[in-house]
Amino acid sequence: MKSLLKLTSIHKSFGAVRALRDVSFELEEGEVHALLGENGAGKSTLIKVITGAHQPDGGRLFVAGNEVAQLTPSKARELGIACIYQQPALFPDLTIAENIGLRLKKTGFLSRVRWADQRTKAVDLLHRIGAEISPDAEVRSLSMPEQQLVEIACALGSGARIVIMDEPTASLTQKEQHLLFKVVRELKQSGVGVVYISHRLEEIFALADRVTVLRDGESVGTNPVDSLTESQLIKLMVGREVSSIYPPAESEAGAVVLSLSNLGCSASGVSGVTFDVRAGEIVGMAGLVGAGRTELARILFGITPADRGEIQLNGSRVSINSPREAIGHGIAYVPEDRRRHGVILEMSIAHNMTMAVHSKLFPGTWLRTKAENLLAAGFIRDLGIKAYGPEAPGGSLSGGNQQKVSVARWLATKPKLLILDEPTQGVDVGAKSEIHKIIRGLAKDGLAVLMISSDLPEVLGMSDRIAVMRGGELVEIIDHKNADAHTVMAAALGTNGKDAA
Amino acid sequence: MLARHEVVLVLVILVEVLLFQALGRNFLVGRNVSNIFRHSVEIGLLAVAMTPVILTGGIDLSVGSMMGLCAVLFGMMVNAFGLDPWLAASITIAIGAFGGGINAVLITRLKLPPLIVTLGTFSFFRGLAEALTKGAESYSNFPASFLALGNSDIAGLPAQVWVFVVVAAAIWVLVHHTTVGRSFRAIGFAPEGARYAGIPVARNTSLAYIIAGAVAGLAAVILVSRLGEARANAGIGYELLAITAVVLGGVSIFGGSGNVSGTLLGWVALAILNNGLTRISDYRIMDQPVASVARELSGMLTGLLLLAALAIGAATKSLAVRRARLQSLSKSPSNPINP
Amino acid sequence: MNKYFRELTVAAALVLLMLALAVFAPHFFQFQPFISRLTSQMPALVAAIGIALVIISRQIDISIGAQFSMCAVIAGVTAASGLPLGVAILAALGAGALMGALNGLLVAYLRLPSIVVTLATMAIWQEALRLWQQGRLLALPAGIKWFGCDQLTGQTIVISITFILLIVAAWAMKNLAAGRFIYATGTDAEAARLAGIDPQRTTFGVFVLMGILAGLGAVLNLVQSPQIQPNCGDGLELKAIAAAVVGGVAISGGRGTLWGVLLGMLLLANVNPALTHFHQPPYWEKAIQGLVILIAVMADGLRSRKNQP
Repeated sequence: MKSLLKLTSIHKSFGAVRALRDVSFELEEGEVHALLGENGAGKSTLIKVITGAHQPDGGRLFVAGNEVAQLTPSKARELGIACIYQQPALFPDLTIAENIGLRLKKTGFLSRVRWADQRTKAVDLLHRIGAEISPDAEVRSLSMPEQQLVEIACALGSGARIVIMDEPTASLTQKEQHLLFKVVRELKQSGVGVVYISHRLEEIFALADRVTVLRDGESVGTNPVDSLTESQLIKLMVGREVSSIYPPAESEAGAVVLSLSNLGCSASGVSGVTFDVRAGEIVGMAGLVGAGRTELARILFGITPADRGEIQLNGSRVSINSPREAIGHGIAYVPEDRRRHGVILEMSIAHNMTMAVHSKLFPGTWLRTKAENLLAAGFIRDLGIKAYGPEAPGGSLSGGNQQKVSVARWLATKPKLLILDEPTQGVDVGAKSEIHKIIRGLAKDGLAVLMISSDLPEVLGMSDRIAVMRGGELVEIIDHKNADAHTVMAAALGTNGKDAA
Repeated sequence: MLARHEVVLVLVILVEVLLFQALGRNFLVGRNVSNIFRHSVEIGLLAVAMTPVILTGGIDLSVGSMMGLCAVLFGMMVNAFGLDPWLAASITIAIGAFGGGINAVLITRLKLPPLIVTLGTFSFFRGLAEALTKGAESYSNFPASFLALGNSDIAGLPAQVWVFVVVAAAIWVLVHHTTVGRSFRAIGFAPEGARYAGIPVARNTSLAYIIAGAVAGLAAVILVSRLGEARANAGIGYELLAITAVVLGGVSIFGGSGNVSGTLLGWVALAILNNGLTRISDYRIMDQPVASVARELSGMLTGLLLLAALAIGAATKSLAVRRARLQSLSKSPSNPINP
Repeated sequence: MNKYFRELTVAAALVLLMLALAVFAPHFFQFQPFISRLTSQMPALVAAIGIALVIISRQIDISIGAQFSMCAVIAGVTAASGLPLGVAILAALGAGALMGALNGLLVAYLRLPSIVVTLATMAIWQEALRLWQQGRLLALPAGIKWFGCDQLTGQTIVISITFILLIVAAWAMKNLAAGRFIYATGTDAEAARLAGIDPQRTTFGVFVLMGILAGLGAVLNLVQSPQIQPNCGDGLELKAIAAAVVGGVAISGGRGTLWGVLLGMLLLANVNPALTHFHQPPYWEKAIQGLVILIAVMADGLRSRKNQP
């Protein structure tokens, strides 16, 4: 079988964080090669290397047997590499035919747009996919799954030989999934190679020929799909020593701080969430990307308020309609997107730290520099933040230190419930460990902690209980004693974990 | 104490002063210096009031038109309805605030872009002013006690300069010493980030536009007092001058960074430019003494200065972004507090 | 909701206005004044076509009034110095292209916000013109008015040129790749880049085109009177932007048709004359213009909120 794409010994780091380490990958003609791994294992970085969005720090890349040195997105497109993301990059105000037309060969300014040809091509492509949509429909009017199908049509139309599909069935119905499988099989028939990323193991077993598993930036094996069981696959994904370096829980959990019953928000797809968090305990929230964890946090913090169910804080029912209200109730949220929501990079550490406590620290709106610097110095010391001083801009700090500043901001509000969203994402090992100690220390002091994390060892090592979400619902709560990587991942994936290893 | 940009501005001002003293007549004499400030208070007011708006990452193109509308309404109140001028002035300022409130509601509640909203009100307010005066009328029957505001001196300085000092000081305090001012910067740098931190973004942004409107009303009253006449074309072109002063002063057009002191220096630089050109009668340009085409020259130079300030601002911003990115990628700074 | 809801609404409003006029002020439709009025609205329509492209590409240009005036004077001075009309026309278009190129350079390649850039260039051209002309009215040689023809022929030429331009531009926006580039850049410049389009070049091109159209509009204005007023372009930017915005061009970029712009311009340009014929005072024009911009923008704002819950 001819090799369409080959990557050997790819290395890629972002500052101190190593995203890919010595990864090799190969795609053959007419093959569906699945790429599997937890969040943060390196899948998206690998895809970006293939599409030319990132340049690898080391390793070599071959397309159709020819080595390619500096791959750029436009070069990748020319070489026939197309990627279909979960968020389609279509132009909503143009029709399907127009969108497809734009993706075809690179055209000059004054070239005539051949409407008839374009439309015929669009009809043809849509027919091949089996999509029953008119090519004259405006993309804006299509549903997300329909847009995805259009994306695939665009990729086909641009003559792609290597098609990458990133979680293509995430928002498709059964019927649409079958349609997609048909398309994938058709692509196979015509010799196109498909890199298929999905968390749905049953799809991988149904469609893929081979599967490569990534873990912590490394490839842990490429195997023919029929040589593995589901359980073996999960083991490859998570199998590692759960490090014993996590600070142990020392105290008993106290009174219930947060109590949710049947909580839901239709706009963000969360429904029927019921659980408690007690003072002094750390509840880890596990699940795949899109399972609804951050959405739940945003409900609790008032960014997308709930429209169903009940929230109780310390026994009394509350409604939370804005971040200000949430803060007033003693809820703090350290956001996932550190650089956009957690820390304002252009402002100083001190200003960032006091941003949520203006009314308390500066009564009457008058700024008090002394009090501010005192607060900042205290947190810099207690959290071990490495910085020039409280006046240093947030952007001058490393990722781990920025995260500490973000945490400090919320600790300053003296919350009762602290929600952490991916607290150690993009943070180097040393800072990670420090942040873990800080979190455990906070719990010991009586804080109720809800920790969203995609880092399985972190979830296992830090949580007193683990709440697993899937598809916007809370599917399982696992106690620390009964938790292991396998059970958590199985719950997150939705397999029933039979043939346990 | 002064930012680097402001040091450059001080130098620019010094150069201007030297230049006009050398090329012009009677530039540094007492009366002219007094006039420099007396004639540019209105623009200075608009510039300081524009600063919070630009800090939040927005813009207000309607302040000049607001001046026109307020001037006309003020004239009506005093001339046609016989109100006491000081009462009418207070009402005018309130009307200005209300106009700013219209901008605020459209921008913060309907989430419309400040650019087009204030372009619409730019046209609407001026249009109302013209309609109310039927395109031709003006009001000029003002008591001497009122005209004194715009034309007399108090303790050596023109009276309106004292008003300006008070307003500028108030806005300076607001921007630099209150949580509201701090929030303007946060909103300008990261509107979503500010929201996640619990900052009342809609409320504080509205305040910025309301202040701009109110100050435009005040500027209108002072202009009417100085000229002794209230016309619908009051304040035409002033928004350009105000924005230029602000951008010249180092306030980033994208929001977040900049000082009121910078705006003041930018305003002084523009005021001196405006005035200095009118003092040059010994030199000619295009066959005319410079002094007689001072307005046109000053207008052109203002536009050029705005472009230059923008270009320099963009260049330094990309340098700063690159520097910050390099720093955040490096392992640790050399003089940490916690080694 | 129909894709062309906005254009249809404006068309309906225009029809209603015309009907009201037909019933209550039929002298509005007297041939000669009607044609003269229509002819006088053509230069603004040309400018509106240009500004529509600018807005669709998610920019703005408030210097077009100053460009218009400058081009008119340049053409007038060229003609007055004895050179043939053709040279004068080229001079106007060339000047417009250069002024547009300056805007385009600053906005597309230096990435400066178009509102402040064009605010600055507006001041520069406006004041430079005042400096140069000192408010003088420039008398034009006889062969210029109406292209040297009689009035009716001249008017027909002006109207025809404008409509031909409109048809060609509308066709080009739909059928040339360049048109697609403009829509794509205005919707999402990054997605456009990923689709292989050069958003910088597209934006630059749009500003140059705007300048050329400002020059063309100035020429069409020039041939309608025996002299040029150096402030003939005053207020043009608002007129043009109002027409575009009313006609369905969204300020957020990526949407709008030139037919909508035509309808918007016809509607707005006839408000004043209609007011006159209904014996209402004409000085409400600017206020109505501003109000119309605000209402149109609010309608757009509400529509996009509905589409993205």
